[in-house]
Amino acid sequence: MILSEKTVKKINDKLSKYPKAKGMILPALTLAYKQLGYVDNEIYIEISEIINVPQLEIAEAASFYTMFPKKPRGKYLLQVCNNISCALLGADAMVDRLEEKLAIKRGETTDDGLFTLISVECLGSCCTAPMIQINDDFHENLTRQKLDELLEGLKNGK
Amino acid sequence: MAEAVKEKILAVATITCTIDGQQITVPKGTSVFYAARQIGIVIPAFCNHDKLKPVGACRMCYVEIEKMPKLQVSCATTATDGMVVSTNSQQVREGRKAVIEFTLINHPLDCPTCDKGGECDLQDLTFSHGYDDSRFGFNKMRFIEEEKRDTFDDLKIGPEIVLNRNRCILCYKCVRANKEAFGEYDIGAFERGDLTEINATPGGEVSNPFSGNLVEICPVGALTNSDWRYKIRVWLTKTVPSICNFSGSGTNITFYKEDHKNFVYRVTARCNDAIDDGWLSDITRYGYQIVNSESRLKTPLIKKGGKQVKASWDQALAVIKKHMGEIKDQSGGVCIGGLISPSLDNASLYSFSKLFRTIFKSNNIDFRGDYRYLPSVTDSPFTIAASQPFSIADIEKSDVIITFGTDLIREHHNEYLKIRRAVNFFEATAYSVNPYAVKTADIAKSEMVYSPGTDELVINGICLAAIEKKLVDSSAAAKLKPKISKLSLSELTKQTGLGKEQFKELAEAISSAKKITFIVGEIVARSLERDKICAALSNLNKLFGVQDKGQLAVLSRYANSKGAQKLGLSATPYEIVKAELKKIWGEYPDCQPRNTDSMINLMKKEEIKGFITVGTNPMRLYPDRGFASEGLEHVDFLVACDMFETETTELADVVLPLCSWAEYDGDYINLEGKVQTGKQAIKPKYEAKAAFEIMELIASQSGVKLFENEQSRNEEIEQLLSLNSVLPWPDDFLEIDYDKKSSRDDYPVPLFICDDPHHSGHLTEKSPSLLNFSDSAYVELSKGMAAKIGVADGEPVRVESPVGKIVVPAKISRVLNSDVAIIPRNFSSTQTTSLLMRKKRVDSVKLTRVEE
Repeated sequence: MILSEKTVKKINDKLSKYPKAKGMILPALTLAYKQLGYVDNEIYIEISEIINVPQLEIAEAASFYTMFPKKPRGKYLLQVCNNISCALLGADAMVDRLEEKLAIKRGETTDDGLFTLISVECLGSCCTAPMIQINDDFHENLTRQKLDELLEGLKNGK
Repeated sequence: MAEAVKEKILAVATITCTIDGQQITVPKGTSVFYAARQIGIVIPAFCNHDKLKPVGACRMCYVEIEKMPKLQVSCATTATDGMVVSTNSQQVREGRKAVIEFTLINHPLDCPTCDKGGECDLQDLTFSHGYDDSRFGFNKMRFIEEEKRDTFDDLKIGPEIVLNRNRCILCYKCVRANKEAFGEYDIGAFERGDLTEINATPGGEVSNPFSGNLVEICPVGALTNSDWRYKIRVWLTKTVPSICNFSGSGTNITFYKEDHKNFVYRVTARCNDAIDDGWLSDITRYGYQIVNSESRLKTPLIKKGGKQVKASWDQALAVIKKHMGEIKDQSGGVCIGGLISPSLDNASLYSFSKLFRTIFKSNNIDFRGDYRYLPSVTDSPFTIAASQPFSIADIEKSDVIITFGTDLIREHHNEYLKIRRAVNFFEATAYSVNPYAVKTADIAKSEMVYSPGTDELVINGICLAAIEKKLVDSSAAAKLKPKISKLSLSELTKQTGLGKEQFKELAEAISSAKKITFIVGEIVARSLERDKICAALSNLNKLFGVQDKGQLAVLSRYANSKGAQKLGLSATPYEIVKAELKKIWGEYPDCQPRNTDSMINLMKKEEIKGFITVGTNPMRLYPDRGFASEGLEHVDFLVACDMFETETTELADVVLPLCSWAEYDGDYINLEGKVQTGKQAIKPKYEAKAAFEIMELIASQSGVKLFENEQSRNEEIEQLLSLNSVLPWPDDFLEIDYDKKSSRDDYPVPLFICDDPHHSGHLTEKSPSLLNFSDSAYVELSKGMAAKIGVADGEPVRVESPVGKIVVPAKISRVLNSDVAIIPRNFSSTQTTSLLMRKKRVDSVKLTRVEE
C-alpha cells in the first residue's frame, strides 16, 4: 500500500457520506494527493479497492483534472502566471530566469527534489503582476531581485 | 387502484408535434430524433446509438425548432406538444456543414489507408453534408507514441482491437456501450479538451467478452479489428444473413464473404431487438473463424492397421456399410447407438433420428453429450421445466428478474445483456441466486450465494418464507407446507448458507412482482439432481403463480437444443412427438430407449457395438472423462463426424468431415422456440458434407432413401414442429425428499466446470482470435481461496479429485467471493472432465500449490 493508514481511514470515514460510491472519487483522490503530492495508476487501483469503484472511472476523473499532478513534484511548486498582465510585465523573463537558476525546463523538477517549475493561467492577481504562486502562497509585484531572494530563501529552508 | 389509474395515464401519455410539416404523435419522452425517424426522416448522427442513452456529443443531429434561438441537437431534445421542427432548413444544413468542418479539423484524411473506408459514417456524412474544403489550414494534431511511431500511430489496446486516436471524433459510443450496455470498465476517455483520448484502462487491455462490438459501433476508423483489417475492402465482399451457432438464443448475424476465395471474412450484428439488440458476444463475432480453419478435416479417414488414412467418401461409406451391416445382422440394430450435437440444424437432427429409428430400428440416440446421468423418463420435472415457453424480449418488460443457478456470462450472452438493459434502462430489480458469485450480480439488488448442492433447499426456503409471511394463497400454502417442511426454515438457512432475511426478500420480490422473469440455467441443468430442483421449482411456480405473471424456464444452452427436443432426438421423446413419429413413419422401434449415459454403460458391456457421433465430442464434454473414454474404446465400430480432429475422432474407425453451419442452409430453433434460418454463406470446404447429407448417404448404403426429396423432409419436420411441446406442470405440489449432504473433508473445494466467457463447447478453440483472449485452461479462484493455498495469479495449482488430477495456473477472480473452483472445459490441452464423477452431485477437489 502506498496510501497511509491515516489516508485510508479518512477515505473510509467519508465514504458513508456519499449515497453513491462514485461520488467519492474526487474526495479520495484529493486525500491521496494531500498525502503524496501526486496521484498515479497504483493509487487509482488502491482507491478502487477501498471505495469499490472501477479503476477506470478513477483514472478518467484524475486525468480530467490537471490539478492532480501525475508525477511526484518538488517540495516547492513554482507556478508562474503567464496571462496578460503578468506577461506584459515580464512573466516570460521571469520564467527564463528561473529556468536558468534552477537548471530545469518548464514542467520539470530539480534533481534535489526541491523545486518544480510550471507556468499557469491567470491566478487572479493581475493588479499585482507579475506574480508567482509557491505552494499555497502568492508572491506579488516581483522584480528580478525579489525573485532571486525568494529562491535563495527557499533553498536555505526559510 | 390509484396506482393502476396512474399507470394507465402514464402509459398512454402522448404529445403531438410537427416535423418538416408532418404532424406526428409520439409517446411522451421521445426525442425529436426518434420522433422524426418514425415518419421516415433520418437525421444524420455520429454519437447516437439506439440502445444507449443520448449524450449529444457530436452535434451532427442539429435541427431547427421554432421559438428556440439556436439549433438544437435532436437526439437529446425531447419532443414536446406543439413543437415545430424542421430537419432540413438552410440553417440546419449550414449548421451540419460547420459540424463536419470542425470534426475534420484534426481528423486525418487517410481514407485510402484506413480500414473503415467504405463503411465509415464520417466519410458518408462528409459526402452528403460537408464542405469540399476546409478553412483550417494549420497542422492536424497527432497522437504519437514515440516508440511506436513507425506503426502509423496505431495502438493495440486489446487482443483484437487496434486504436488510432487521430481518427477518433470523440462520440464516446465505445465508452458508453462498454459501461451502459456491457457493464465493463476497460475502455475510457482520458484527459480533456483537445487532448481527450479514448484508451484502455492504464495498465490494462480491452478484453471483455463483448469487446468486438466497440469496433462495430465506431463511426470512424479509430477502433479497428485485427481480425478484419487490411484483409479485404468491404465493398468487395457480399453479405449473407445468418444466425450464430454458438448461442442458445440464435443471435442474428451477417456473414461477409468472398466467393472466389470461398472465404468468410467477418461477422457483424444484424440487430434483432427481440433477441440480441445488435450486440454480439466475441464468441459469435470471432467464432466464425473455425469455418476457414486450415486444420479442418478435409477428407474422410478410415482406420487401417491402427492408423487413420485418407479415403474417398465411397470407400468410407462402404466400410460403414460393411461393419454396421454386420452388427445389425449379427446382434440387431439395438447394438447401434448415436450421439448428435444439439448445435446442428433441424434437417440434420431429424435425419439422424429417422436413420436410427427406421433403419437401425434402435432407440439409442441422444443429443445431450455434456449432461451426466439423466434418467430416461419423458415427463420428469426437469424435462417439464426445460420445455416451458420463454421470451427474451420479455426480460426487458419485467420488473423483477431472478437468475437462479446460472452464470449467464458463460452461458447466455444475450440474456445477460438484456438483464443489464432491463436494470439500467427500465428500472427492473434483479436478484442473483447462485452457488457462487457471478458477474451478473453487479447490477443485482441482492446477490445471494448459497452452498453448492443445496439448490432445491433454496427454493423450498423461498416457499416457506412466503408461507410464514403469508404472502401467498393460504389454501395452497396449507397443501404445500407438509410436503416441504421436513426441514424448518431455520434448518434451511443452516444448510444453504442463506439468511432468513434473504429468503424473505426473495419471497417478497416474487410475490410483489407485476411481471417476473425467472431464469434457471446450466448449473441446475447439469446437476445430477436436476429433477429434484425442478420439482421444487414446480412447487414455487404453483405457489406464487409465477407463470401467470411472467416466465420461468430452464434455458436451453445450444443453438438447436430446443429443436432437438421438439424433433424427438432424445432417447425418450415427448409422448406426443412419439405418437406423431409413429404416424409419419408408420413404425417406431419398441426397444428400450438408451440415453448417453446408459449407452456408454452398454458399450463397456459390449452390448453397444456400433456408435455414430455427429458434431459432438463426448470424450471432452461428458462429465466423466474416464467413463466416456472407457466406453468409446470398447466400441467395435465407431463413426465420428466432425469438423476437426477431436479426442473422439482419434478413436474412430471412420471419420467423416462435417460442414460448418456457414456452408448450408439450415433451420434452428432458439431457446424461445423461434425458428430461424442460417443461410449458406460459402460452398462446403474441402470434401465436407452436411450432417443430413451424411445420414442420407448412410441410409442409401442399405438401399433405402430416408426422404423422397427435400420437400418431404421439410414437411415431416414441419409436422413435428407444429405440435405443442410445452409440457404441463404436475397438478399437485411435489414432495421434495431430502438427503443429507455427504462432504468429504479431504476434497473440500466444490468444483464447477463451465465455459470460458470467450469460448463455447469444443469448437471455438480453433478460432485464433478467441485464443488471443483465452488460450488455455486455468482454475478461477477467489482472492481468499488463493491466499489460503498460497498462490498468486498465474502460479500453477494442482487440482485433485478422487478420480483425476490436473495442474493449471490460478486465475484470481474479481467476482468470486467463496471457496469454489471454476475450470473451463474448452481447451483440449487440459483434460478437465477427468476430474468429474458421473454420479456425483457436486464434484469437489483438493487444491494445492505446485512447488517449483
